Amino acid sequence: MIAENTTQAFQWTYNENDQEFALQGSLRPQKPEELSNCISALEQSVAKVSGKFYVNVRRLVRMNNVAFQAIACKILDLVRARADLDVQVTTSSVVGWATRKFAVLETMSDKITVSEYDSEFYPGQSFVEDSEFIHVLRTQTKLTWRHEKELLHKHGLRPGMQVADICCGIGDFAVLLQKEFSPDRLVALDHSRSSLDYARQVAADFGIRGIDYVFGDAADMLLEDDQFDFVTCRHSLQVFDRPELILKELFRICKPGGRVYVTNEKNSHCLGEPRGESIQWTYNEVARLWHHFDMDIEIGPKSRRLLLEGGFEDVSIGSFMVTSADGDPQGFADIIASWKNLFAGKMAKERGDDPAFIERFAKGFDDHIFAALHPKGYAGWPIWVASGRKPQ
Amino acid sequence: MLQMDLDIGDFCSNWSHCDLLSAYLARMVSHNRLDSLLFSNLYSSALNELLETVFRVHGASGKLECSVRRQGGLDRIELVFPADEDIFRVYREAIDKLSGENAEKLYLEALFTEGQPDASLGLLELGVDYGARLTIDRVGNDRMCLVAELTLEDENE
Ligand SMILES: C[S@@+](CC[C@H](N)C(=O)[O-])C[C@H]1O[C@@H](n2cnc3c(N)ncnc32)[C@H](O)[C@@H]1O
Repeated sequence: MIAENTTQAFQWTYNENDQEFALQGSLRPQKPEELSNCISALEQSVAKVSGKFYVNVRRLVRMNNVAFQAIACKILDLVRARADLDVQVTTSSVVGWATRKFAVLETMSDKITVSEYDSEFYPGQSFVEDSEFIHVLRTQTKLTWRHEKELLHKHGLRPGMQVADICCGIGDFAVLLQKEFSPDRLVALDHSRSSLDYARQVAADFGIRGIDYVFGDAADMLLEDDQFDFVTCRHSLQVFDRPELILKELFRICKPGGRVYVTNEKNSHCLGEPRGESIQWTYNEVARLWHHFDMDIEIGPKSRRLLLEGGFEDVSIGSFMVTSADGDPQGFADIIASWKNLFAGKMAKERGDDPAFIERFAKGFDDHIFAALHPKGYAGWPIWVASGRKPQ
Repeated sequence: MLQMDLDIGDFCSNWSHCDLLSAYLARMVSHNRLDSLLFSNLYSSALNELLETVFRVHGASGKLECSVRRQGGLDRIELVFPADEDIFRVYREAIDKLSGENAEKLYLEALFTEGQPDASLGLLELGVDYGARLTIDRVGNDRMCLVAELTLEDENE
């Protein structure tokens, strides 16, 4: 429902399946009465619930004390009046004020719990936020940049644009963008505080100014609509179980006429010779492993469809291959070593793979490294690049 | 530093002015922060509570002067507006509550009373929840100044 009679744009929804009442938008009414529709919707929702009732304020960006008081008092009344009821409030770490503010509810009743929505809600997030992963990302960007520098131009990036890099990781791509394309504004967003700390440190060390590193959830960004000429999201749609939701956000923050640029992998197409068969086997298994954690490392060629179904026009797609023959075979080998470390290490263990499997799985990475460093060998990692224009 | 002057009557002609002004100023001051989005959202929330307080409790006529400045890690918001002795007393009482030992308890009490929030709730929130330093002073005979000093970003985080 959308509230009427108020200048504030806020909405509420009730999901019966999850027993969850969600509030979103900006809630700054002058009088509590302005919330009466919302409060009665809340009452009606609770009436049908027993056990745990969820109140989701993750997308509530602003809220004044009038609104807080009205809603908090209602929640307190509910748990006091109904012995069978517990309330779980979910806040977002991105909004800043919400967790601290709602936490006072816990002090008022032990039937209310307040928790911050965090990484564990994302499948696989704990892997990508891991500090070991930083090394993977650095080496990867180093080798993909020589290809992307040209491609970005073809996909419409020009100097002086308003640019956002969503899921920026450790921010090295943003630094390269800043140097090469001098955007007028560059926002780089990620949901990993450790990656952002690293990114800010690197920018400071290199004396690079003007990159706005912000903490946020790509599925739910505080950035306003229609702001950017060029929005990039690299190697990241593949870490979400529902990439179309992220794409929707990228679409939203992009200006009409602007472009969204995504890069994605299809890991089962990694290749190498000699020892091609073992390499092939292992990368097929990589795809399965990611799938087990609800992530799709095979998205690459599906990017075109995702963009078209996401409402983009003038969609273009292509691919390039990072190879051991690009002039830095050791760099290539380093990437594979860090994959081995993560995939045949933590991730395989977490899935509960047996030692025999892990040994064979790891062998394929070793063989890929062998191919990369072999004087007559060749090893490759293909990447799909796609972009689309948001209609005017 | 950034300053905006408005006629208090114009400001109070529409509640949404609190929201608009706080969002606008928050955006203006959020550049070059550790995290501009997070900062802007916190700043807007804090400033909005101050403006809503002034919207509710102010003197008859005159200017509302709103100036904001940054001093290192500290952000200072200064509001000067018409206020007679009674109005000034409302602010005085709120600030006195904050300097007492049970400020937090008073804040929670104000937060969980039914009905229209007490005029001091916004100020209590700033003092307790945002850790702001609040001061007031008289300006001439019929005006007052409300200053909030905030540290919204923790450099060590
Ligand atoms: C595979 S990495 C890619 C990083 C970077 N684009 C690159 O190419 O080096 C995926 C990134 O997505 C980030 N991420 C995961 N979930 C996120 C979310 N909900 N919002 C924003 N970023 C998220 C992770 O922290 C990680 O940095």
